[in-house]
Amino acid sequence: MNAAKKNSTQDIDFSPVDVLIIGAGASGGTVAWNLADTKMRIVCLEQGGWTNPAQYPSSGRDWETRAQSDFSINPNRRAQPADYPVNDDDCPIKVANFNGVGGGTVLYAGHYPRFHPSDFKVNTLDGVADDWPIDYSTLEPFYNENDRMTGVSGLAGDPAYPAKQSVMPPLPMGLSGQTIAKGFNKLGWHWWPSDSAIATQPYAGRDKCINLGACLHGCAQGAKASTDITYWPEAIRAGVELRTWCRVKEITVGEDGMASGVVYFDADGVEQFQAAHVVIMACNGVGTPRILLNSTSEQFPDGLANNSSGLVGKNLMLHPYSSVQGIFEEELDGYRGPVDSIWSQEFYETNAKRDFVRGYTYEFTRGRGPVATALTGVHSGRIPWGAGHHAAYRRLYNRIAGMVAICEDLPEEHNTVTLDPQLTDAHGIPAPKMTYRISDNSQKMLDFSIERASEVLTVAGAKDLLIESPIAGGGWHLMGTARMGTDPKTSVVNEWGRSHDVRNLFIVDGSIFVTSAGVNPTRTIQALALYISDQIKKRLTNLFD
Amino acid sequence: MTNTIASDHPLTRQEQALLQKLCRLIVPADAAYQVPGADDPSIFADILQSVRTNLEPIKLGIDIASGLDVPIEQATPMLEGRAELAPLVSIVMQCYYRDDRVMEALGMEARAPFPKGYEVPQGDWSMLEAVQARGKIWRDA
Repeated sequence: MNAAKKNSTQDIDFSPVDVLIIGAGASGGTVAWNLADTKMRIVCLEQGGWTNPAQYPSSGRDWETRAQSDFSINPNRRAQPADYPVNDDDCPIKVANFNGVGGGTVLYAGHYPRFHPSDFKVNTLDGVADDWPIDYSTLEPFYNENDRMTGVSGLAGDPAYPAKQSVMPPLPMGLSGQTIAKGFNKLGWHWWPSDSAIATQPYAGRDKCINLGACLHGCAQGAKASTDITYWPEAIRAGVELRTWCRVKEITVGEDGMASGVVYFDADGVEQFQAAHVVIMACNGVGTPRILLNSTSEQFPDGLANNSSGLVGKNLMLHPYSSVQGIFEEELDGYRGPVDSIWSQEFYETNAKRDFVRGYTYEFTRGRGPVATALTGVHSGRIPWGAGHHAAYRRLYNRIAGMVAICEDLPEEHNTVTLDPQLTDAHGIPAPKMTYRISDNSQKMLDFSIERASEVLTVAGAKDLLIESPIAGGGWHLMGTARMGTDPKTSVVNEWGRSHDVRNLFIVDGSIFVTSAGVNPTRTIQALALYISDQIKKRLTNLFD
Repeated sequence: MTNTIASDHPLTRQEQALLQKLCRLIVPADAAYQVPGADDPSIFADILQSVRTNLEPIKLGIDIASGLDVPIEQATPMLEGRAELAPLVSIVMQCYYRDDRVMEALGMEARAPFPKGYEVPQGDWSMLEAVQARGKIWRDA
């Protein structure tokens, strides 16, 4: 995987560039595309390569095995040349990411909710954490623009949201979604077709979803909107240079305290320097603080952009997930169809009757493949060894469906990304270490989500339940480690993404989240990337003032 | 029983033979379901190939099984559910449930998901009328 042809360094122009982007994932591709029309010279450095969709697991009979090996969501298990190790021993939720063009969007489900208006005003409304320095209306036009670029499927009219557009029809509810939706209707609870970054019609050169069922390990059909097939082709066509297999070691600073460029290892492992007038970080909540903390100097002894607040790497938020799956008697979708189908935000907003603040989204899960079914059954004791194996297997096969709860995680300074004192990557660069505890509020929310999910699945007809909380491998959402704010003492970047301490350094990824909301973050990360790059364009004449 | 035992494999012939017996213990053939066991030559060859990339935990499982005082055919109560055998069981399941005969017995087409894909029914969208009837549930800010 991820083994596309590496760049030759012979043809590279190392003269100073106007804008240097680090990371070609969800936010890097987005900001590159949006800045391209300025005609500035823009270069992006990406530590991995291009993936070839023909090599995604769903093209082979061993797709479920490869989902646990070279296309695992866990970089420590995947351990491909593009990956760097992450010490998550002191974290009950293990990291999930992807390193390569497209970043995490290559392996995400494409579940694509927006934040709600209340998510930007957590302190005002609920007296916890902090408000964002921007609000829903600030991001709304950028959500809309990103929806058009991404191609979002869904259904307008969701009563859990302000009015929003839908670019194409929703994904099928299927047997699984319909069965569970009946349970929600019996209880009078909210549900709605999920907004998904998955094309249900041919769209912008991508074909429609054909229900491969392996969204989490790369979409061979190209229906899922990973940025390697959405933003990047257009950015490159518009003149952006993308250098793959280039791993950044550190950002350098000049005597004036401004970023002067980056030191990186190229595809041949040779250390290079690329000078830049503007540096944009797009490596998300672990990768961005890792590089900033590795970028020490006389001016920034504790890491770049870390003088005023000391908050680089702090306030890590992860979205603890619970999973409750029902086992039904009737056959459901099983291995067929995308993970996404419908969601519920019945328990999204704060309710004073509960013993926690904030809330969560239920993201329905359609089913699982034949191998995953067997492993679920054997490891949970529901499928025995020996003569009873086959009958027991058939009681689970294509009969599992349920939901995960994406619980809003509030920022806490003791949850951190730091540099591991021993662990390094293949280039000798210190690796990140995650230290994290699930808060009392998040734990109460997880417990509540399990109770309610068990209730509705039982009402829907489930005869047995499979429960996991937290999902141990579910560290998909990495947020908060370089938070946004107006006060340099309590935030790393300002309200338009510029570092308080380094006036030509910007951050556009999930690390700038002030709070996490109770939804998947990618749509908001990309809306933020469009918003910040729009601010850069509007302020070009006085960008460093 | 089989000619699957390989001489160029990192597991010894004795270990391979024991592993094959373990596979049969975990997933036996069943004529009623028209399925082979995991010790079937074709499936076991796939298992032998697959364990090469993750050998240490597999050897541990084999060592545990070989250290028992009872014949392997009677070892289920001592082995089933043990965490040390989880990697071995995982590989057995991965190889067994991608075998053509097993997939077809389950009613699946024996093929990769791509490029043909699958059909999924839309479902009854009129069920949303009850949700819409409640009206707005998001909070003003």
